[in-house]
Amino acid sequence: MSNDALRLRPPNHRVDRRAVGWWSTQALSVTVGLTVIPVVPALIWEPVRFWFLVVAGIVGGVGLLITVVMPRWRYRVHRWEVTDTAVYTSSGWLWQEWRVAPMSRIQTVDTARGPLQRAFGLSSVTVTTASAAGPIEISGLDHTLATEVADQLTDNTEAVPGDAT
Amino acid sequence: MTSHEDHRPEETVPDVARPETDPNPADGHVPEPNPPGRDFPAETDEPSGDWPGLSPLSVWADTAIVALFMVPSAIVATVVLVVVDQPLWALLPLPATGAFIALMTYLDMLRLRAVRYRVTADRMEMRSGIIAKAYRSIPRERVRSVDVAAPIHVRIFGLCTVTVGTGEKVGSGADQLKLEFVTAEQGERLRRELLRRAGTDDASRASTEGEDGSVDEDGVELARLNPRWFAYAPATTATFGIGLGVIAALIGANAQSGGHGWAWISERAGLPGSQQMADFVMSRLLLVIPLFLVGLLLSGVVVLLLAALETWWNYRLTREPDGTVRLRRGLLTSVSLSVEGRRLNGVVLHEPFVLRSVRGASVQAVATGLESGDDKKTSAKSRLSPAMPRSRARALGAALMRQEQSPLDVPLATHPRAALRRRFTRATFVTLAGVALAGGLAWLHMVATESWWEVARTIEETIVPIPLVVESVEATPGWGWFALAVVLGVLAFWYAVGSYRGLGHGLHPKYLVLRKGMGVRNTVTLERSAVIGWRITRSPFQRRLGLADVAATTAAGEGMYSALDVGLGQGLAWADEAVPELLAPFLERPEITGEAEGSRPTVLP
Repeated sequence: MSNDALRLRPPNHRVDRRAVGWWSTQALSVTVGLTVIPVVPALIWEPVRFWFLVVAGIVGGVGLLITVVMPRWRYRVHRWEVTDTAVYTSSGWLWQEWRVAPMSRIQTVDTARGPLQRAFGLSSVTVTTASAAGPIEISGLDHTLATEVADQLTDNTEAVPGDAT
Repeated sequence: MTSHEDHRPEETVPDVARPETDPNPADGHVPEPNPPGRDFPAETDEPSGDWPGLSPLSVWADTAIVALFMVPSAIVATVVLVVVDQPLWALLPLPATGAFIALMTYLDMLRLRAVRYRVTADRMEMRSGIIAKAYRSIPRERVRSVDVAAPIHVRIFGLCTVTVGTGEKVGSGADQLKLEFVTAEQGERLRRELLRRAGTDDASRASTEGEDGSVDEDGVELARLNPRWFAYAPATTATFGIGLGVIAALIGANAQSGGHGWAWISERAGLPGSQQMADFVMSRLLLVIPLFLVGLLLSGVVVLLLAALETWWNYRLTREPDGTVRLRRGLLTSVSLSVEGRRLNGVVLHEPFVLRSVRGASVQAVATGLESGDDKKTSAKSRLSPAMPRSRARALGAALMRQEQSPLDVPLATHPRAALRRRFTRATFVTLAGVALAGGLAWLHMVATESWWEVARTIEETIVPIPLVVESVEATPGWGWFALAVVLGVLAFWYAVGSYRGLGHGLHPKYLVLRKGMGVRNTVTLERSAVIGWRITRSPFQRRLGLADVAATTAAGEGMYSALDVGLGQGLAWADEAVPELLAPFLERPEITGEAEGSRPTVLP
């Protein structure tokens, strides 16, 4: 590490503030689901009730902690940026990921919104390249903004020649 | 091969529906190879005319292989039923088999009639399906590889399978067209036609090089089988494993019979009983153990040599005048794989540990259109050479890439010491787990009473014909477990150092070069122009140590090639230089703060 002190600058735009609510709801529902699993045998099976309740307590506690911490942490990390030449995103919380894909290599651009995302008025933009490394996803954008971004990306992609491989 | 359903799902058709589907159920004969277009009167978009079908002989090939597997078992079943005095039942197997084969043949004939293909100026098209008609069409410019394979039962009939790879993953399996089977001549013509394109400049380049090959009608020869290379075939960790596998299978069979299998054999053969055998072995350990190991080794060597012989016999790697790289190999199943030169984006120098220690290596392709379901299959399909001497493999890699200075010779930058620290941490955890396990076992050893040992011994005797394990464990003092833990710890740290030494990344004017791995060391070269994006990932530990995984994404090969645990600044500088202008707008050079730059993550919660 003698050479450059290079760093990645964070992408320009944050995702929508409502994404915090969306992530919290997601985490909460998973937590509730996982906590119920040990609670059920605890209710119907007297001798091991204590131990199952302990397990439920641990799972629920950890889940709640994640529910409180994760969405805020994510909100600070998740960012995106579309320039004339590339798409640049950062995502994750404990494990973080930065992705860059040049316009000329983009194959498809989709927007998608699950029921939960719709409830929060959010959308995801998925940008696919020819790589098996998986698509680049910008999740938690305001619905109108997501459509605009997708349109802009589609226009930009069409303007750049090449067969994207 | 016996089942038609595995690769032709359109034939899994309910029996009831079949009669109406055949336009011509009465004729029993095999249709002509090139019937006129009237077979598809309903298709409006079809220009009538030249749609070649599969070779009529393919029905024979399929029938022959089904019969080869089923008739002998039917005969055996008949004989058995006669022997056990069930004459009526004995009449059943042969007619049933006959009917089954007839049914399969009939279905195969329907398939034969249904499959039509053609190659036009800019598309390859294929129609198939008996009930659910399928039409698939791929632009010829998307054709990345053509794979012509001829398993022995197909080759006898002068046929071959043609698989056309496009390198596009749309849905499952939609990226390939497969013709089963066409004549060898048709296959060769398809191969040439599909990969021929305006690539004449490649041809001139191809003929100027040729340091180790002669130019003939097939183009430049890059490599040809040297029988001495078979000596490298057994140099894998599998050599002992295969021998052990054989023994494990035998032990498993013996255990299935509750230990009676071996008892029966030893009684017939007049062998001494299990206990006597065990005593005999224990009294001559110095003789028996080496013999046992040599036996394992020999059986492994034989199996692997045979496998290598079947795979790599007739091996030839050529570059044809139009730049296409063509691989031919195989004894029973002859394979010819062609990859368009432009789509060969790099090579992998593949050195598994044992092969590396005898200075051997093999070469794999990084190419679009060779992908399979998972990385393992992709890697098997991309093999361009058998295990060969390392220097030869490097030369072959250089010849494939056509660069003056071989990208494989580029000096590689080492990764920060922190990467070694991460590996030491992992090794420490492995060692601690080993010690904990050893402690538990030693404790069990101490509290174990004679009756426990008795139980263990009884179990072992029913499974293994010559019981040795429990006895030797009982004879060893309890601290023996800790000796094993120490060995494990030493191995873990040795592995950590090795995998750190394996890490490296570098740049060639045209290629980027990545190396990693201890168990399997792969040196990957990837054309810089084939990089279609970057993915940088950091775990919490990597952020603390100022490290990152910097991965180049690409359409070729495994889709992503990664520099593991590289210093963040170092990795970004490398990526920025490899593909100028892609990453540059997103980089920043913070005010100079000396050494601490890497340890500060970009985004902190």
